[in-house]
Amino acid sequence: MKKNSIFSRFFTFLVFLFLYAPIILLIFFSFNQNNSNVVWGGFSLHWYKELFQNRIIMRSLYTTLLVSLLATVISTIAGTFAAIGFYGLRRRTRNTLNTINNIPMMNADIVTGVAMCLFFVAFFALWKDFALWFNSIQGLVVLPTRLTLGFPTLLIAHITFNIPYVLLSVSPKLRQLDKNLIDAAQDLGCTWFQAFWKVILPEIKPGIVSGALTAFTMSIDDFIISYFTAGSASSTLAMTIYGMTKKRVSPEINAISTLLFVSVLLLLAIINIREARLEKQTARRQAAPSATVAEMARQKPRTVPPLVRFAAAGACGVLLVTAGVGAFHNTRKPVVNVCSWGEYIDEDLITQFEEETGILVNYQTAESNEALYSLLKSGAGDYDVIVPSDYMISQLMEEGMLEKLDYSQIPNFSLIDDRFKNLPYDPTNEYTVPYTWGTVGIIYNTAMVSEPITSWGAMFDDRYAGEVLMFRNSRDAMATALLYLGYDVNTTDEAQLRQAAGLIADAKSRGVYQAFVMDEIFLKMEGGNAAIGAYYAGDYLTAVENNPDLAFVIPEEGSNWFVDAMCVLKDAPHYDEAMAWINFIASTEANLANMDFIWYASPNKEALEGYPAYYEELYEEELDQETYEIMAAPAETLERCQSYISLPAETRRLYNELWITLGIQ
Amino acid sequence: MKRTKAFTIPYVIWMALFVVAPILMILVYAFSGTEGGFTLANFSAMGTYTVVFIRSFRLAGIATVICLFIGYPVAYLLSREGQRFQRLATVLIMLPMWMNFLLRTYSWMAILENNGLINQFLGLFGLGPFKMIDTQGAVVLGMVYNYLPFMILPIYSVIIKLDHSLVEAAHDLGADNVVAFRRVIFPLSLPGVLSGITMVFVPSVSTFAISTMLGGGTEYLLGDLIEQQFLGGAYNPQLGAAIALVMMVVVVLCMWVMNRFGEGEEQAVVL
Repeated sequence: MKKNSIFSRFFTFLVFLFLYAPIILLIFFSFNQNNSNVVWGGFSLHWYKELFQNRIIMRSLYTTLLVSLLATVISTIAGTFAAIGFYGLRRRTRNTLNTINNIPMMNADIVTGVAMCLFFVAFFALWKDFALWFNSIQGLVVLPTRLTLGFPTLLIAHITFNIPYVLLSVSPKLRQLDKNLIDAAQDLGCTWFQAFWKVILPEIKPGIVSGALTAFTMSIDDFIISYFTAGSASSTLAMTIYGMTKKRVSPEINAISTLLFVSVLLLLAIINIREARLEKQTARRQAAPSATVAEMARQKPRTVPPLVRFAAAGACGVLLVTAGVGAFHNTRKPVVNVCSWGEYIDEDLITQFEEETGILVNYQTAESNEALYSLLKSGAGDYDVIVPSDYMISQLMEEGMLEKLDYSQIPNFSLIDDRFKNLPYDPTNEYTVPYTWGTVGIIYNTAMVSEPITSWGAMFDDRYAGEVLMFRNSRDAMATALLYLGYDVNTTDEAQLRQAAGLIADAKSRGVYQAFVMDEIFLKMEGGNAAIGAYYAGDYLTAVENNPDLAFVIPEEGSNWFVDAMCVLKDAPHYDEAMAWINFIASTEANLANMDFIWYASPNKEALEGYPAYYEELYEEELDQETYEIMAAPAETLERCQSYISLPAETRRLYNELWITLGIQ
Repeated sequence: MKRTKAFTIPYVIWMALFVVAPILMILVYAFSGTEGGFTLANFSAMGTYTVVFIRSFRLAGIATVICLFIGYPVAYLLSREGQRFQRLATVLIMLPMWMNFLLRTYSWMAILENNGLINQFLGLFGLGPFKMIDTQGAVVLGMVYNYLPFMILPIYSVIIKLDHSLVEAAHDLGADNVVAFRRVIFPLSLPGVLSGITMVFVPSVSTFAISTMLGGGTEYLLGDLIEQQFLGGAYNPQLGAAIALVMMVVVVLCMWVMNRFGEGEEQAVVL
């Protein structure tokens, strides 16, 4: 056979370069000094050090490896036997079963995820009835009545979407198998199982191994199915990353990915070198004239397919890491399940709380208020504590989804500034303890605009065509237009809402918007890729650290100010632990740490007033007054701002309709 | 092999529980209103989404064709390399997927941005900047990038098993390289091509992360539309289920038509 020409080798090289370019970049930025993925701040191993102290990431790594490994082993065994079974079936039956087998692969991940979630929730409801009935007719065994999503459902989901890949890899190998071999083995006195072990298995081994490898890869890479089936107590690495891309991907994630990746590469290199040596030995032996055929046969190294060895070595490595991380992992403690937003807490606080109280915190993140709502509605999220924004709190309260708090267990509530008590979403303050507050405004790049931005009109201005970033959520996006038009942000008037949507749609068709973004805004504004973007004050303060050209303004037409508050869900299984958590987070120390970490203002009076002094002590420099006022907007600014209130269902439907139309356009 | 039939039983039960039952739930949802009860209302609105359907299928189609034009040569060239290199390469093709796909897509953003790596590089020669991100081209690139391995590997696994004496026979009978490829190699590798097309096209049609991250989120794809119903502003799983159902039916139809062209059973092998 002719060898490939230089030209075609170059082509293959280009394709590999294409596959690896983004990965090289990721690895590069894992050594970045600052927290940006675009702006290089110098070499540092800082994020690798942080990584091992980040319990959220380490825990999700543990869950990921455990679930991927278990799912791979189980689905490989099950898939292989299923493939052998399918092989013996008549063609028609086999084709039907194969079609069903293909469904999980043919279906959008999100549909598979939601479908499984709905199914599990329906099953739990049935189970509850059954368990109650069963417990009432006999007293010997008490069945648990409340089942929730968790590691077992996550595992079931992973097994379900893995088996088809194993089946697809094994089946062709079976088809290539000579049926007579099995008959011959059995004629020679093998039992069926011996025939399977000695004849079938060696023949189909490559298929099994590649199936297992695919399954493991799929498990590691999946996020959306896990998102809907993992429940509140376990999250995989992909889910953690998903929560972060909506906020800001922490460079620790780059670091952990790099470590995973490099360890696999190393394994591969070791295997390859060993193989090369073995091959050389074989060649030398064959060349040696003195060796008899019998000797050669004896000395012939056992040729285990490299994939098998690769997989075995990979599995061992993964097992070791799992065991290592698992040593830190203890589930026999009281727990509290918290759902918040990505990068919205100083994670040291979680460790501190766990050490002080012995309560384990399962900390998950949702992408937005709306996503949180669907997690709760579909039954996928059975959290204890959630941190929704004001308007979502009233919506949840209207639907009876929140539990009253026991304020006698939250003495730190008294530290909360009176300004943030009894707000419209919770007029008698029975359900909430404020977490943070802040304002919405326009972030702009002073180097890219001709004059300072002062009005929401900039969001619809042709002068900045292709340079403007609009919110990718309907409520905030519509608010920019409503404010510009001089309407109430909480209007339910259909004509006004349609006019506002029309304004955005018109600007979109004129090419004003570069993109509709949420937290991609960091990347775009920090990198100087866009001139103007509407976003939250706290996030501006994070972005300006990486790009000093950025400025922030609360436009003259006024704006939205919001409060995110901690609430407890109805029938929360860990109520007392939830109270302990809320009390801990409401403390002045926790608020100071959080403010320093996320740049969102604290509702704790002492913390808010004491922050400049705290900052000075920590960094030995004075906190810029302007920065402080952007974070904690002074009273006169707040007067110009309105808070969102929950909209009636009809208006919400209209919002959705307008928003979808905008996206279709 | 009579007794092996029993092996199917556990998996059939498993499928019934965790594959068929959840799909039935979707079916039920698609035909029920927000307050419950049977309705066809979810499907009546489908006409307004025609643009999105066309856009998604068009972009996924383009991505699939590009994957085929890149993936086939790579698979073919790979099969002619040395054994060791082949083994290494197949794993190397799979390996990028061990790094989370969101991270890789995020990385692409940094490369394609107006002020990103490519434009900065071109800027050194006084070229550009070119607008690459937030375009349909970027979305197609994201699809090609993410699903290319699913095109290469099945084709490779079929070509590698190809009986080489057939090609030699063709040459002996006077066929030149082009004819031998067109009349012998390509037809024989068709099962791999078909499964490759399926494995690229299906996830491309239903993706939502790629279009929001690389496409700027201004033009919805089907995945975005479905995601909006489940995770977006209005929680409307019924409508989401209906859209998903229509999408599934169209996809299955496409695949069915395509598989008519290649005879026999689908021979999808990943590695």
